[in-house]
Amino acid sequence: MKKKVGIIACSGEDLVGGTISRAVARIVFEKLRPKNTIILCQPLFMAGGLERYGGQEERDFAKNHPTITIEGCSEECARIAVNKYSGTPSATIYIEDYLAKYPELTPNSREDLGKNGLKLAEIIAEDIAKKVDEFYYGK
Amino acid sequence: MSEKKVYVIPCSGIGKVFGTISRETAYIVVNELAKDKANLECLPLIVKGKKEVIDKLKANKIISIDGCPLKCSYNDIMEAVGKVDAQFMTIDIVKENRDLKPETSIIPVGENTKILSRKFAEKVALKVEELLERKEEHN
Repeated sequence: MKKKVGIIACSGEDLVGGTISRAVARIVFEKLRPKNTIILCQPLFMAGGLERYGGQEERDFAKNHPTITIEGCSEECARIAVNKYSGTPSATIYIEDYLAKYPELTPNSREDLGKNGLKLAEIIAEDIAKKVDEFYYGK
Repeated sequence: MSEKKVYVIPCSGIGKVFGTISRETAYIVVNELAKDKANLECLPLIVKGKKEVIDKLKANKIISIDGCPLKCSYNDIMEAVGKVDAQFMTIDIVKENRDLKPETSIIPVGENTKILSRKFAEKVALKVEELLERKEEHN
């Protein structure tokens, strides 16, 4: 049976990379691969005291399915969390690499990505969709 | 005026619009309504336990904003920092404004969601003032 792919974005609030990571995850899930992916909620995934607060489902999913983390900065919060609680992620995407590669697509701000930021998010999402296909179809 | 800050930490949940309201609200508070009094910090970085971030939060006031009853922001901060000075739930502002049903869209954010976020931010900004006043009285 083919396994859905988990997408977990850092969603960091304090920097533009976090906002892009969030937009990318939504684009992959809503537009590009809605049938083959599931978004994992980063704060829920990382929530401590799981017996009390919930969140075990997110961690179990990542244990048993291929999971792609999207990192807004070099702190790698999503990758480290998945690694700690569910095992090594199948792939990790670094927003900073794309910001460096596409300087003409600099987003407006962390609050408002603007046209360029959304275009950049689309590009990153397309790359992730290819990775989803690799994991989902075993390509 | 106290030099202490209030850190506004939204859950930024990505699955539903309620997490988005928490994020939009936090941005309005720190950028406009309580500029120079309130700051943001990344929730994943807090959970990761980055020492300088934890120390900074311990020395200041903290407001959590959560989008669902699992209260990831509140619970994660309690686990990592050991205190939350005030907590908000986005569902409360939705209940108070039943004529403003938030759109389901997260990217881009809908008009009702924007209005709700601004109304909510006004409440959170009042709490920022209150917490800083209390601190000054205490000092």
